[in-house]
Amino acid sequence: MPKDRSEVLQGTLDLMVLKALDAMGPLHGYGIARRIEQLSEEVLRLNEGTVYASLLRLAQKGWIRSEWGASENNRKARFYSITRSGRRQMNREAESWERISGVIGRLLRLESQH
Amino acid sequence: MLTALLSRIWNAFRRQRLEKEFNEEVEAHLEMLAERFIAQGMESAEAFYAARRQFGGVTQIKEELWERHALPPIDVLFQDLRHAFRQLRNSKRFTASAAITLALGIGASTAVFSVLDAVVLRPLPFVDPDRLMAFASMDRRGTPHPGLLSYPTFFDFRHQNRVFDHLVSYRDERFTLNDSLPAIQVVGEIVSWDLFPLLGVQPELGRGFRPEEEAAGTHVAVLSNSLWRSRFGGDPGILRRHIRVNGKPFAVVGVAPAGFRFPLNNPEVELWTTLSEDATLTEFTPLTSQRGARVLDATGRLKPGVTVEQARAQMDQIAGSLARIYPDNNKNVATTAVMPEMQRLTGRSRKPLLILLGAVGLLLLIACANVANLLLARSTERAREFSLRTALGASRLALARQLLMESLALGLAGSALGVLLGVGILKAILPLAGDSLPRISQAGIDSRVLAFSAVAAILTSLLFGAAPVIQAARADIAGALKEGAANIARGQDWFRSALIISQIALGLVLIVGAELLIGSFLYLVQRDLGFRADHLLTFGIGLPDTRNVAAQITFCDRLLEHLRAVPGVQAAATGMPLPLEGDQMSVSFDIEERHTAAPDRPHSDMAIVTPGYFRAMGIPLLKGRDFSERDDTHATRVLVVNQAFARKYFPGEDVIGKRIEPGATNGKEGTRLREIVGVVGNARQAPLSADPDPIYYFPYKQLPWGIGTIVLRTSVPPLKVENAVRDVLTSLDREAPMYKVRTGSEISAAAISRPRFQMVLMGGFAAAALLLTVTGLYGVLSYAVARRRREIGVRIALGAKRSEVVSLVLRQAALFVTAGIALGLAGAIGAGRLLENMVYGVRPGALSIAIGACCVMVITSLLAAYIPAGHAASVDPVRALRSE
Repeated sequence: MPKDRSEVLQGTLDLMVLKALDAMGPLHGYGIARRIEQLSEEVLRLNEGTVYASLLRLAQKGWIRSEWGASENNRKARFYSITRSGRRQMNREAESWERISGVIGRLLRLESQH
Repeated sequence: MLTALLSRIWNAFRRQRLEKEFNEEVEAHLEMLAERFIAQGMESAEAFYAARRQFGGVTQIKEELWERHALPPIDVLFQDLRHAFRQLRNSKRFTASAAITLALGIGASTAVFSVLDAVVLRPLPFVDPDRLMAFASMDRRGTPHPGLLSYPTFFDFRHQNRVFDHLVSYRDERFTLNDSLPAIQVVGEIVSWDLFPLLGVQPELGRGFRPEEEAAGTHVAVLSNSLWRSRFGGDPGILRRHIRVNGKPFAVVGVAPAGFRFPLNNPEVELWTTLSEDATLTEFTPLTSQRGARVLDATGRLKPGVTVEQARAQMDQIAGSLARIYPDNNKNVATTAVMPEMQRLTGRSRKPLLILLGAVGLLLLIACANVANLLLARSTERAREFSLRTALGASRLALARQLLMESLALGLAGSALGVLLGVGILKAILPLAGDSLPRISQAGIDSRVLAFSAVAAILTSLLFGAAPVIQAARADIAGALKEGAANIARGQDWFRSALIISQIALGLVLIVGAELLIGSFLYLVQRDLGFRADHLLTFGIGLPDTRNVAAQITFCDRLLEHLRAVPGVQAAATGMPLPLEGDQMSVSFDIEERHTAAPDRPHSDMAIVTPGYFRAMGIPLLKGRDFSERDDTHATRVLVVNQAFARKYFPGEDVIGKRIEPGATNGKEGTRLREIVGVVGNARQAPLSADPDPIYYFPYKQLPWGIGTIVLRTSVPPLKVENAVRDVLTSLDREAPMYKVRTGSEISAAAISRPRFQMVLMGGFAAAALLLTVTGLYGVLSYAVARRRREIGVRIALGAKRSEVVSLVLRQAALFVTAGIALGLAGAIGAGRLLENMVYGVRPGALSIAIGACCVMVITSLLAAYIPAGHAASVDPVRALRSE
C-alpha cells in the first residue's frame, strides 16, 4: 500500500462521487469506492467510510437519490444515482475545477522555469 | 430552511430506522471489501481487519449523519435542559423575577382559557351535537330578534316541516314537590315527548317519554339524578311509584343520567315533564291552544343530509303561510331563525370571552418582552462566557441550543408557577361570574387547560428565547473577548428599545379596555334603579295547587296580612316579574284614541302587582293613585304605568284617564279596555340597558295569572326577618315551600355580575400589564444608566448640573413613552370598538378615554424613570472615571 495517501478534500470527493455516478449509472457505496480507486489508479487512497459522509451531503442537497436494491451477490444494498440538479452541479464544479487546475498547472510550470 | 427543519424533526422520529439502515449499508460494504481481500489471498480474519482499516471510523460518520439530518438526540436535549436549570439556580434573583413575570402572564391566560373552554369551546354533551339546531321565530317588531313560539305555532312547525328529525319545545316552570315534608320547590322543564331521543340521551333508569304522554291529563316525570338521590334516596323502586307534584300524582317514568342538563343554560332543572301539563284544562284556556301566548323555546335535530340553509328556507316558508292564515297572531313572526344550538348557548358569551383572551394574550406578550429584556441584559453580562465557549469549539448552533434550553427551562418553571396562580385566579373570579355565563361552573384545570398552559409556555419560551439568540448571532464574539461587553451592548440597544416601546403600546391598549369597562361598571352601579334595593327581602312561594284562582287570591290576601304583622316588616306585596330579574313579559296593547290593527299595535313590558307594591319596592308614585283592594273583578279595570311609558305613548298629554286595551287576558273574559289611574317612577326591568324601558302594571286581582314574588320592605336588615317569615308561611300552609330568598341588594348585584366579572378581569390584566411595563422600563433605563456611567461621570466632571443629568434620563424615557403611545393609540381605538356592545354609559371612541389612558401611562412611566434618573445624577465622577 502506498504510504503517501493524499488527503482528499471534501469538495473534491463530492465531485468524484458525482462523476462516478454520472459515468456508471446507479452504484452502491462499495461500487463507488471501487470506481474511485480504479480511476485514480490507486494513487488516491481514501478511508472508504468518507464516501458515505459524502453521499449524505449530496443526498441532503438533492444532488443524488437512493433506492434499495440487490447487489451482484444478492445482498440488500442501497443504490445511489445522480439527479438532474446533481448533474448540473457536477458540470459547474467540473468546469471551475478545470479552470483552477489549469491555472495552477500553468503557475507551477512558470515557477519551475525559474 | 423550514423544510430542512421539518425533515430534521421527521427524521428524529425515524432515527432508529435510519440508523439500522445505515448500519446495514456499512456492514454490507465491509463484507464485500473483506471478500475482495480474501480473493486476493488474505486470511479471513486478517481480511476483515483490513476492511475495517480501509473503511475508517464509523462513529464519526454516524455523528455527521445526525448532525446533518436530525435533531440532537433526546438525551442530549435533556442534558442541555439539566444544564439550563443549573444555570438558572445559579442566578436566583434573575430566575425569580423572570419566572414570576411569566407566571403572571401564564396564570392569567390559563384562568381565562379555562373559562373560555368550559363556556364556549367544549362541545355540547349530546350525541352528534353539530346537528342540533336552535329554532325560533324572528320577531320583526323593533329590531328583528329571535322570539319565543306559541304552542299552536310550534305544533304547525312540528307537523309541517320535513327537515328536522325531532323538533322539541321547552319552557321552565316551578313545581312544588309535596309528597312528603318539607315540601320543596324545584325548577322543572315542560318539554315535548321526544326530548331524550332528540339529544340521544338514555335515562339511567327507566325510559323517556312516549308520544301519547303529551295528551291532556297525563302526569309523567323524569327526575334528575341529584333529585332522585337527595329526595328519594336513590331508590330504584321509584319507577313503580307516584310522587305528588303540585298536589297531583305523577308517575316517575325515568331518572336522568348523573350530570345531565337540559337546557344547558339552566343548571337548576330537576324534573322534566311533557307538555300535557300545558294542555290540561283549567279555568284559563290551556296554553296549548293560545296562539298569542309565546312561551316556548325549541330545538331540533337536522335530518341527515339537510343543511342549515335548507332547514331555514323550509321553516321560513311555513312561517310565511302561518302569517297569512293567522295574521293577528303571526304577522309579525313571518320568518324564523335556525342556528346551531351551540351558537344560541354561547353566542352572547363568545365575544366577551374571546376579547378577554385577547387581553390576556397582550399581557402575556408584555410579560414575554419583560423576560426578553431581562435575558438580554443577562446575556450581555455573559458575553465573555459565550466567547470562551466559542473559542473552545462550541458551534453557534450549540450556543443557540443552550440559550433556547435556558429559555425553555425558564418557561417551564414560569408555567408551573403560572398554573398554580391560575387555579387561584379561577377560584377568585368564578364567584364573580355567578350564573351570568352558561356552563361556567364547569371551569377548572383539566388536561385540556394544562395542555394549553404547556403550549403557551413553549411558545412564549421560543418568543422571548429568540431575543438572546438573535443577539448572540449578531455579536462579534472575538471582539467581546478583547473589549468586554461594551460594544455588544451598543448593538442591542435598538432591540431593547423596540421591546419596551411595544410593551408600552400593548399596555396602553389594555388600559383603554380597562378604563371602558370600569367606567361602564361605575355607570351601572350608580345609575338610578328606580327602586330602593336596601331593606328589601324577596322570595317565591310554591302553592300546592296553582290552578284554583279564587283560593290563590284568598291565600295571597291572608299571607300578606300575616306578613305585615311580622315585627320589622313595614310593607308587604307581591309582584311578577320583579325589576332586574331578567324575566320580562311583553304584551301588545291597543290605545283607545288611536285604534290600530292587531299586528301593528305597540307592545311593552308588563307586570302584575298587588296594592302597596310600589310603596314596598320604593318606586315613587308620581301622579294619580296606587292600586287598592277595591280594584277587583267587580270594579273598573285599571292600570298604572311608569313615566317612560307615559312619555313614549302619550307624549305631552295627561296620561291619567286614558284607556288602553292590552292583549293580556284572564281567559274567561277576553281583552278589556283598562283605564290608566297612576304614573310611577321608572324601575328598571331589564338588568342591563342604558335607558329604562316602558312598563305597565296590572292589579293582581284583575289579572290573577299567578301569585308572583313576595316583596317585603323591612325596617331591620332584611335577612333578620327571614325566620319569622318562614314561620308565618308554615302556619298558613305546611305544603307551601319558600324558595329563592334574596335581598334587594343581591338582586341588584346579580344583575351586573357579568359586567363586574369582565371589569375585574380586564382591570386586573391592565394593572398587571402596567406593572410589568413600568418595571420593564425601569430595568431598561437603569441598565442604560449603568452602562453610561463613564459618560455621565465625564459630563458631571465637565460641569453638567444635576437637573441636566436627570433630564438626560427622563428624555430617553419620554422618547420611549411617546413612541409607545403613538404606536398603541391606534390599537387602543380598535380595542375600544370591540368593546362597544359590552359597555354602558361610556363612549368607546371618546377622546377623554384615550387621554386618560395616556396620562396613566405617562405618570407611571415618569415615576419609574425618576429612580434611575436619580441614580444617574448621583454618579460620582471620580469613581466612574476610575472604573474599568
